[in-house]
Amino acid sequence: MLKLELKGVSKKKKIKQDGRQKEILVLDDIDLQVDPGDIFTIIGPSGGGKSTFLRLLNRLEDVSSGSIFLDGKNIETLDVIELRIKVGLVFQVPVMFEENVAKNIFYPLKVKGENLSPMENHKEEIEECINWVDLDKSFLSRNSDELSVGEKQRVCIARALMAKPEVLLLDEPTSALDPTATLNIEKLILDLNKNLSLTIIFVTHDIAQALRLEHKCMVLVGGKKIEEGYTKDVFSNPQNELTKRFLEGNLKKEKI
Amino acid sequence: MTIYDILASLALVGVAIGISLYEKVQLEKDILIGTIRTFVQLIAIGYALEIIFNLNKLYLILLTILVMVIIGGFTATRRSKSFFNGFSLSTFSIGLGTFFTVGLLLILKIITTDPKYMIPLAGMIVGNCMNASALALERIDSEVKSKKAQIEAALALGATSKQATERSFKNTVKAAMIPTLNMMKIVGIVQLPGAMTGMILAGASPISAVTIQIIVMYMLICSVTLTAILTTILASRKYFTLNHQLVEVGI
Repeated sequence: MLKLELKGVSKKKKIKQDGRQKEILVLDDIDLQVDPGDIFTIIGPSGGGKSTFLRLLNRLEDVSSGSIFLDGKNIETLDVIELRIKVGLVFQVPVMFEENVAKNIFYPLKVKGENLSPMENHKEEIEECINWVDLDKSFLSRNSDELSVGEKQRVCIARALMAKPEVLLLDEPTSALDPTATLNIEKLILDLNKNLSLTIIFVTHDIAQALRLEHKCMVLVGGKKIEEGYTKDVFSNPQNELTKRFLEGNLKKEKI
Repeated sequence: MTIYDILASLALVGVAIGISLYEKVQLEKDILIGTIRTFVQLIAIGYALEIIFNLNKLYLILLTILVMVIIGGFTATRRSKSFFNGFSLSTFSIGLGTFFTVGLLLILKIITTDPKYMIPLAGMIVGNCMNASALALERIDSEVKSKKAQIEAALALGATSKQATERSFKNTVKAAMIPTLNMMKIVGIVQLPGAMTGMILAGASPISAVTIQIIVMYMLICSVTLTAILTTILASRKYFTLNHQLVEVGI
């Protein structure tokens, strides 16, 4: 069980504007603690640095200043591959890279490579993973290009589970899904958290979704942490003006 | 053939300019520049080779090949859209492909250090390697940019940058080698290669021209494979940090 801690984390990025290179501050001095077994929601408007936040946690990008600790160890001192196995990341748009579902799910073991036995020897593990995401075993032989987006996203989660992560990062995994598929994924997340004691960090811009996932949340606006706490408390009694404005905007959108 | 023949052959250029003018495609200037450059460059290289052949010094031959390699590296990367300057890696790849292949030809005693073998063969090798290197640079760039999502998804699952670009790597090497592979498949059927045509025009028997041409094709596949793979390995590394992250610039 791993504890994640961020101390003074900032991230600067170079962007091109009017043909000139410019540096912008995407994340600004973030302190945060995520305890083992939490479902932690990162919520805020788009462009607020939510995705970058996740990318820093499994080192697809590195912090510009500050540090991230996994169980007290600075993640920059850990082997990056081992870190990514412990801290899995599922993206907004599901990506398949092998021809069938079974091979996709097997991928984390394939790249691990050490005394790799053929996929046939790992049938049980693969079936277990597809089971977790509530897909039938018959999906394993399906061509991954022929799945619906919702099914692909489930396969992506199953694939991430194959690496046996202790923390799972999910970057708006339901944004491309219909309401039913969205609710199914949310139920799946709650189940995984309960049954596998998986720590989950979930990025969304949807307040209703954050409430359904309960636990804790951090409100991220313009790269700054403006509020943090139990999701219900934060939303019923927002302390920060920006949180209030974000909540109002979100509610207005829902009324329309 | 004499200077008269060259002047007479300008009639052919005249036809091209005439058509360009008539059809208003406005290529007369380019044709004219090309015509002059062809003349000046070839005459200059002719005299230069004459000197090198007469001196017949190995270091001079190697130096000539080196200059060709550097010009090849420069040409291969001149139009490159990559965010990094690929000149040194391209020149290195072309150089390795060229010197290795020429060295092997010498070791196998297929050729001697006579400049009449070394220079034209190395020239052909550099020309083909230069194209392969340019194609590899262009392809790896579009592969990484278009497959960014797949590559990052693989990295996030614990793949190394090498594993994450496995498919892009294959596609790139293949794309760089396809012109050479196609040439090997159709050689002699669709067109007669330049070296062989030249030998026949200069009076060699078709059989001895063909013998040389076969060796030329085999040496090209060797050098092009080396250059294509080396360029791809070195270029694909530019897109990643040591911590298996895509670099931020330019992607």
